[in-house]
Amino acid sequence: MFEVKLPRGLDFTLQNSPTPQKYLIETMPGGVALLDYNNDGLLDIFFVNGGRIASPLPRPDNFDRHDPKYWNRLYRQNKDGSFTDVTQAAGLANAGDGNYGQGVAVGDYDNDGYPDLYVTSYGKNILYHNNGDGTFTDVTAKAGVAAGGWSVSAGFFDYDNDGKLDLFVTRYMEWDTAHSKDCGGAFHTYCPPGEFPRTTNVLYHNRGDGTFEDVSVKSGIAGKKGHGLGVAFADYDGDGFTDVYVANDGMQQYLWHNNGNGTFTEVGLEAGSGLSLDGGPLSGMGVVFQDYDNDGRPDVIVTTLPRQTYGVFHNEGKGAFNDGGLQTGIAMMSGVTSGWGAGLEDFDNDGWKDLFVTQGHVLDNVEKIDPSLHYLEPTLLALNRNGRFERADVGTDVLVAGRGAAFGDLNNDGWMDVVTSVIGEHPQVFMNRGGSAHWLTITLRGTRSNRDGLGARVQVNGQLRFATTAGSYESANDKRLHFGLGEAKTANVEIVWPSGIHQSLKEVRADQFLEVREPEQP
Amino acid sequence: MMLRAILTLWLAWQALSPEALKHFEAATEAERLKQYDVAVAEYHKVTELEPAFVQGFVSLGQAYVEQQNYDAAVAPLKHALKLDPNLGSAHQLLGYTLLAQGYYEEAISHLERVDDPGALGVAQLETGKLPEAIANLQTALARQPANADLMYYLSRASGLFSKELVDTLMAQYPDSPRAHQAMGENYYVLRQMPQAEKDYREALKLQPNLPEVHMELGEVYASSGQWDKAEAEFRAQTKLQPGNAEAAYRLGNALLQQGKAKDALPELRRADKLLPDMPETLYSVGKAAAVEGDTAAAEKSWTRLLEIEKGTPLAAQAHFGLAGMYRKQGKTAEAEREMKEFEKLQGGGAAQP
Repeated sequence: MFEVKLPRGLDFTLQNSPTPQKYLIETMPGGVALLDYNNDGLLDIFFVNGGRIASPLPRPDNFDRHDPKYWNRLYRQNKDGSFTDVTQAAGLANAGDGNYGQGVAVGDYDNDGYPDLYVTSYGKNILYHNNGDGTFTDVTAKAGVAAGGWSVSAGFFDYDNDGKLDLFVTRYMEWDTAHSKDCGGAFHTYCPPGEFPRTTNVLYHNRGDGTFEDVSVKSGIAGKKGHGLGVAFADYDGDGFTDVYVANDGMQQYLWHNNGNGTFTEVGLEAGSGLSLDGGPLSGMGVVFQDYDNDGRPDVIVTTLPRQTYGVFHNEGKGAFNDGGLQTGIAMMSGVTSGWGAGLEDFDNDGWKDLFVTQGHVLDNVEKIDPSLHYLEPTLLALNRNGRFERADVGTDVLVAGRGAAFGDLNNDGWMDVVTSVIGEHPQVFMNRGGSAHWLTITLRGTRSNRDGLGARVQVNGQLRFATTAGSYESANDKRLHFGLGEAKTANVEIVWPSGIHQSLKEVRADQFLEVREPEQP
Repeated sequence: MMLRAILTLWLAWQALSPEALKHFEAATEAERLKQYDVAVAEYHKVTELEPAFVQGFVSLGQAYVEQQNYDAAVAPLKHALKLDPNLGSAHQLLGYTLLAQGYYEEAISHLERVDDPGALGVAQLETGKLPEAIANLQTALARQPANADLMYYLSRASGLFSKELVDTLMAQYPDSPRAHQAMGENYYVLRQMPQAEKDYREALKLQPNLPEVHMELGEVYASSGQWDKAEAEFRAQTKLQPGNAEAAYRLGNALLQQGKAKDALPELRRADKLLPDMPETLYSVGKAAAVEGDTAAAEKSWTRLLEIEKGTPLAAQAHFGLAGMYRKQGKTAEAEREMKEFEKLQGGGAAQP
C-alpha cells in the first residue's frame, strides 16, 4: 500500500527530552499539520517540537527553545517532492520559547485565503497569522487565544455557522512541573492521568475582527472537566450544527452536542458514545469522527491504551451510538497496542474509508512492568471491506513510538498519504503507491460559509465526508476532501454548506481535483 | 485455660507446704493482674521451696513465655519434663518457646506429643517437611476457619510444595511434556509470552493431548490479542474435553472477540448448560446475543445475571448493556433506568464527570 520513506530535505527530529524525573509532558508531543501555506498547490508540512527539559527542571521551569533543534519546523514542498526547511524565512524560528510544544490546528480564521496555524503547548498557545507572503506573525496577544495550562489538541470549526472559524482547544489536566509525580516505584514511570486533577477545555468564538472571545463558560464547555487529548468535529445528528467529540484519557469520552444557540450539552453517556462496550472508561488519545460504513452518519473511532480496545461508536441515527468494535473487527486488532494519531481515509480508493493508526506505548519503559507490552509498536493499517476492517501491510515493519498523524495527498496523485511524528526520531512519511481505482478530491470554496467550507457535509456517490482539518491526535489534515470511487468514472456530489445551502453536482468526472464554490444564493 | 488454672491450684493445695502455697497463690494472682515480673519471682520461690513440684516449673516457664522471655522459659520447662517426661502442658509450652526462637526441629519433637496441629504445621513448614505441614495446617484451619495466620501458613506451605514439585520435575524430567507445561505456566505468570508459547508448543509436540495445555496456550494468545490462534487452541481443548465448561466459555469469548457472535453464541450457551448460572458466562451470552441482534436473548441472559449478582462490576456491566440495548430499541425510560443503576454501581468511578 505505502512506500515508507523520508523525502529529501525532511530532516525534522521530534525532541521530547526524556528525563529520569518522568515529567508527563515528555511522552505526549507532537503534532503534524499538512497545509498548503503558500497556495502553490503542494502540501507543506509543519511539525510541532517538544522542547528542552532540564533534569531536574529549575524553579520556575524553563523550556528554552533557542537551540534550533527544539524549534517547530515548517517544510515547504518543492515541485520534485523534496522539502525545504523554511522555518526561519517564515518567521517561525525559536517559536514557542518558554513553552513545551504539543499540537497544531490549521484554519483560515480571517478568511483571507491563507491557512493560519495555532500551536498548542504546555504553557501558552500561539496563533500564527499567515501573511500570505510566505511569512507568519504571532498574533496571540491580539487574538486572545493563549489559553494557558496544558493544551494538547485543537481544531478550527464554525460552531455558530456565522462564516468565521472558531477554535476549540483540549486541555489534559491540572499539572505543572512543580507538582509532577513519578509513578511505578523502582521502575520510574509516567503517571496515569487519574493522579492529577481534571481540567476544562477551551472554546473561543471568532469575533471576525482578528480577536476571539473565550466562551468556554458561556457555552457550557467549561461545565465539565476532563482529561482531554484528541478532538474531532462532525454534525452527528444532522441538525446543521457542528458537534464536538473529545477523547479523554482514562475516563468517559465526551460528546458535546451543539444546541444551535451558542451552547453545548455533553451527551456522551446518553448517546452511548462515552464508555466501552462493557461500560468501562477508555484511555482516549486520538479520535476520528467520520462515516466508516457509508450509511451517511458520522461515526467515532477513539484510539486507546492496551488492555482496552479502540472505541468504535457506530452512529445509529436519532442521536444514538452503538459499540461497533466487535462487528468491525477493530476490537480484535487493538487489544495490545496504544493508538495515537488516527485517520479514516480511503487509501485504496475502493469507496470505503480505511483506518490508519500510529501506535507506541505511553511508557518508555513499559517492558519492565509488563514484558508482554512494548514501547515501540507497529503502525496499523486496516482496510475497510464493506464496513469490516482487515489488517493490511502498511509498508514497513519498523517499530516506533508514534504520536501525531496527518492525512493528505502529498504528491497530488489522487491517493492519500500520511505523515506521522515519532518520539525522538524522524517522522515517517507513508507515500501511497496508488492503483487503478478512480477518485475525486474536492476543495470547498465557501462564500456565505467560512472560506474553506469547514463543517460542510459532502456526499459523493453515497459516501459522506464531514469537512474538517481536525481529528487524529494533536494534528491537522489536508483540508481537501478525498473520495475513492472504485470503478466509477463519474460521481454525484451533494454538499450541505454550513450556511445551510444545498448544492448538487451531477456526473462529475472522476480522477480530478475539483474546486466547488458555494452558491451566493440558496 | 480456666480449667487448667483451677486444676493447677488444686494440685498446689494438695502438694505444697503452706509457705510454698502462699508464694504460689501470690504468683497466680500476679499473673491474673498481668504482673509477670512478680509472677516469675514468686514461681521461682515455689520451685526453690518445692523442687519436686513439677507444676511449679511449668508455671514459671509459662510466666516467662507471657513475658516473651523465651530464652529463660526453656530451662524450667525442660526441668519439668525431666520430672515428668510425659507432661503434655510442658511439651506444648516448650514447643511454642522453641518455635518462637526458631529451633524448629527441636520444637517438632515436643509438638508431636500434643494435639496442636497448627503449631506443629508451622514448625514442619519451616523445616521443609511440606506434605506433613500441609496436612497439619489443613486440620488446624478446619478447626479454626477464620484464623488468618493459619490461612497464610497453609498458602505458603502449598506454594512452596508446588514449587518444590515443579523443581523436581524440571530437574529429573527436563524434557518431559509436563516440565514444558510448567515452564510455560511460569513464563505466562511473568508475562513473557513468546517463551510461554514456545514451551507450551513443545509440550504439545511431545504429548498432543496433554490436558489443559491447549487452554493455557489459548490464554497466551488471548492475552496478546491473537484471537484466531486462541480460538484454535480453545477449540482443541473443547474437542479433548467436551464437558469442560471453561473451555467452551473461552472458545465462545475468543469467537466473540473476532466479531463472530453467531458462532460464539452456541459455545457460550453450551458453557452455561455445562455449568449453569456462572455470571461471567451469562454476561458473555448477553453480549454475544446483543451483537447478533437477538435482543430477547440478550435481555434474558443479562436479567438472569442480575437476579444472581447485585452490586458487582459484572452487574454494572449488565445494566450498561441493557441500557444500550433499550436505547437502540427506543425504550428511553428503560434505558434511563438501567443507566441509573449502572451509574449507581459505578459510584464516583471513572465514568463520573
